[in-house]
Amino acid sequence: MLKVSHLSFAYERYGTLPNAQVLKEVSFSLNAGETLLVLGAPDSGKSTLARIICNLLPRFIAGSISGDLSIDGESMGQRAPWDLTDKVTLVGQNPQEQLLMTTCADEVAFPLESLGIERTLLVKRVHKALRDWGLEEMADVNPQEMSGGERKRLLLAVADAIDAPLWIMDEPFDDLDEHWRSQLLKRLLRKETAVLLFGSRYIDEFRGSFDSYAMLSDGVLTFGEEESIVLAYDKECDARFSPGVGEISIGSVHRFAGKGLEIVHPRKSVNSTPFSLQVKEFHVESGEIVALVGPNGSGKSTLSRVLCGLDPSVAGTLHIDGVAKDQIALRTQVGYLFQNPDYGIFLPTVRDELGWSLRHDSHLSKQVQEKMIHSSAELFHLDCDDNPTMMGYGAKKHLQAAVYHLLERPFLIIDELDSGVTYSAAFEIISLLRMKGAGIVIITHDRSFARNLAQRQYTIIDGEVRETEVGA
Amino acid sequence: MTVNTFIAGRGFLYLLDARSKLLLVLLLCVMVFLPISQWGLWLLCVFAFLTAWHAMGFTQALQPLRAILFVLVLMTLFIPLTYRDGESLLVIGRFTVATVESVQNYSFLVSRFLAITYLCTLYLWSTPMADINLALRWYGLPRNAALVLTLAFRFIPFIADSFKMIKDSHALRIGEQSSRRQRLSDAIPTITAALVYALKSIPHFAMSLEHRGLGRSGGRTEYRKLKAKGGLFTQMLVSVMIPTVFWLLFNTL
Amino acid sequence: MERSNPSNMTALRIALVAVLTAVVVVFTLLVRVPTPIKGYISLCDVVITFSAFLFGPWVGAIAGGLGTAIADLIGGYAQWAPLSFIIHGVQGMLIALIARTGMKAKVPGDAKLIMMFAGGLIGMVVMTGGYYVAGGILYGFEAALVEIPLNLMQSGVGVVLGMAVSRAVLKAYPPVRSLAW
Repeated sequence: MLKVSHLSFAYERYGTLPNAQVLKEVSFSLNAGETLLVLGAPDSGKSTLARIICNLLPRFIAGSISGDLSIDGESMGQRAPWDLTDKVTLVGQNPQEQLLMTTCADEVAFPLESLGIERTLLVKRVHKALRDWGLEEMADVNPQEMSGGERKRLLLAVADAIDAPLWIMDEPFDDLDEHWRSQLLKRLLRKETAVLLFGSRYIDEFRGSFDSYAMLSDGVLTFGEEESIVLAYDKECDARFSPGVGEISIGSVHRFAGKGLEIVHPRKSVNSTPFSLQVKEFHVESGEIVALVGPNGSGKSTLSRVLCGLDPSVAGTLHIDGVAKDQIALRTQVGYLFQNPDYGIFLPTVRDELGWSLRHDSHLSKQVQEKMIHSSAELFHLDCDDNPTMMGYGAKKHLQAAVYHLLERPFLIIDELDSGVTYSAAFEIISLLRMKGAGIVIITHDRSFARNLAQRQYTIIDGEVRETEVGA
Repeated sequence: MTVNTFIAGRGFLYLLDARSKLLLVLLLCVMVFLPISQWGLWLLCVFAFLTAWHAMGFTQALQPLRAILFVLVLMTLFIPLTYRDGESLLVIGRFTVATVESVQNYSFLVSRFLAITYLCTLYLWSTPMADINLALRWYGLPRNAALVLTLAFRFIPFIADSFKMIKDSHALRIGEQSSRRQRLSDAIPTITAALVYALKSIPHFAMSLEHRGLGRSGGRTEYRKLKAKGGLFTQMLVSVMIPTVFWLLFNTL
Repeated sequence: MERSNPSNMTALRIALVAVLTAVVVVFTLLVRVPTPIKGYISLCDVVITFSAFLFGPWVGAIAGGLGTAIADLIGGYAQWAPLSFIIHGVQGMLIALIARTGMKAKVPGDAKLIMMFAGGLIGMVVMTGGYYVAGGILYGFEAALVEIPLNLMQSGVGVVLGMAVSRAVLKAYPPVRSLAW
């Protein structure tokens, strides 16, 4: 049903750098009802391939393409994306990029309206899809007021309502809790639907579920048996980056501590209620790595915002080296790497971005600044002339880290680094940031990630933050 | 940021169809600018306020008044400066504070402004945005324009959240107590980052629109439909009759 | 490879206008300095100027007009919505038309500096004049005079920041050129 032959694609780059080849002679075919799992590191071209199959690239993002793509025997060369609405459905990694309407019902109805489905049948399909994914009560709720997991389910409800014969999914199991994961797996294994699923991590749900397995690495797609693909993928992830980096030099040891904190956690969804997060005790010291673990929606980001001085706490105090600090003082001492690196990027080149951190340091000469910028860029695998807004996600995370590396904050909070970059890349970034002795708090909901990195761990259980065993 | 403009309530305001209600509001707004007596205008204001009170409660009904309070105060302060060569009404010392004409003018302006404020606000509060959208389409707004309206409401909270995050991210990078001048010069990076972020999302949304079938030949169907209680024609008739009768009663021709 | 461009892609046009409208709304509502008269002065003119400079008269008009109208609706000034729609719509359109005179291929960033200034100035006049006339009809021309300095300040800041931000965005995000229409 889907046949891809010798597909190559390169994004157009702006500036002085050559085009980046993302896909190299990718060939494969998928028959009706078949399922294929493609493992690939973040930035390996998975989303690119997914969008090309839906005919959305290079239509919307400039690039050069060669090769052939056909669906149901018909070559897709000159077809428009809207002709594929009833043939292929893409369930992207980020629902925010795909959701269009102001209520859940409208969202599910929109593609059905495009397909010209008669009204009574349309209404039935909308309500069935919402029901199947547990969203019936939220039919009139604005998706902006829903949690990440609920939005994922909305995307799945849309896909279900359209019921196209081919589903392309990019990390669909993220953000879903156990019940919905099994529901999703059941739905994907139905014989009428061909599924092409991209993942950057091999999760339990994948075991034995798919007809074929493949790996996408450096733009090349290789097939193999389940075991061998998983092993090869693990090896590749490890090989890319060097895990630990030498000795860390701690000048003076600082201690960042909080006592008796009470934080109000705003509600993430109309279904949840706001609650208070209690932190009896919390501390990080220079050179330490502390994990903050909790399920989605438990308040990790909310706590982090208080720790770095962006939001106030309702009660309690925060001290650095025994001195109480207010919000403004905290901001100069505690850095926060947002999960989304786009929030800080606005300059034309990497050199400019890194240089911006130093611009207020008048005591550093131009030459010294240049040198610092160059060494930072090199450490983090960045090219000084690259345009930050056009870089891939992983590269942007490295840039974000490089910026904070230059700022030399004594304490850093890193939000969900492991989702979006490989484990090895995450390890490397963290060890580079530790080099100058920073105390680091990593936020994650992945316990094995915490276990591999952190020396201590705080876990959020039922609105309370407690120190627990690492990896608990 | 909440983009909700609808306020639940009771009464005939909620029974009227969005289309006929729009016509009613429009005609009444036109009517207040036609030659009409003061009593008519003030009566209209009182009607509007009472309707608001019945529909949404006293506190909510006061809201439009609170929003324009300062304008009203300003208008009051300007009474001495208008129509200075009229029949004096209020004199303090040798200074004519108010003339009959200026007070009459003031009365007309205030009642007119109040009426328009309440009419527009009540329409907005008693009609869900989706219905207003459908009403505008019925009156001739092209489908794609209506889509832009829906999408704008969808994007507002998204852009608002990202703007906040961008501000926070910059605040953390800057750190120190910066001088006012530094803070001003840091406004441009924040605004630039916010705009770039918004611009980058455009191709993604366009992709989603086309992926979901926008542009397909063969005509779109409609999930939402407006239904007028008692029939649209009857409601439109009522919408025309109310301002007509009102004007016939209170006009000053 | 043919660059995607809003002039021949409906979905891109729709998304562009809707996003910029939303940005105008957010800038109007989130960055406000309260004043007695109309309620607040805001940075909406920065975005309107930006949209007009980079994207042309249609986008400038709709983003400016619709954006400020929606902001009025959400902010509790429903009676001003139709007026803001017209005033800021015309402002956006004129800024774009004037700033882009003499531009060769309608590529943003090629507009002459002096024309951008001229456009911005006309925009200021339209915005201030428009609100003066509207205010005059609604609550008296004498009282409406009070708004003039505030509106001039708001639109003036809008023009200056709008120009600075346009340059910055062009440098930081080159693909914006292909979004011009």
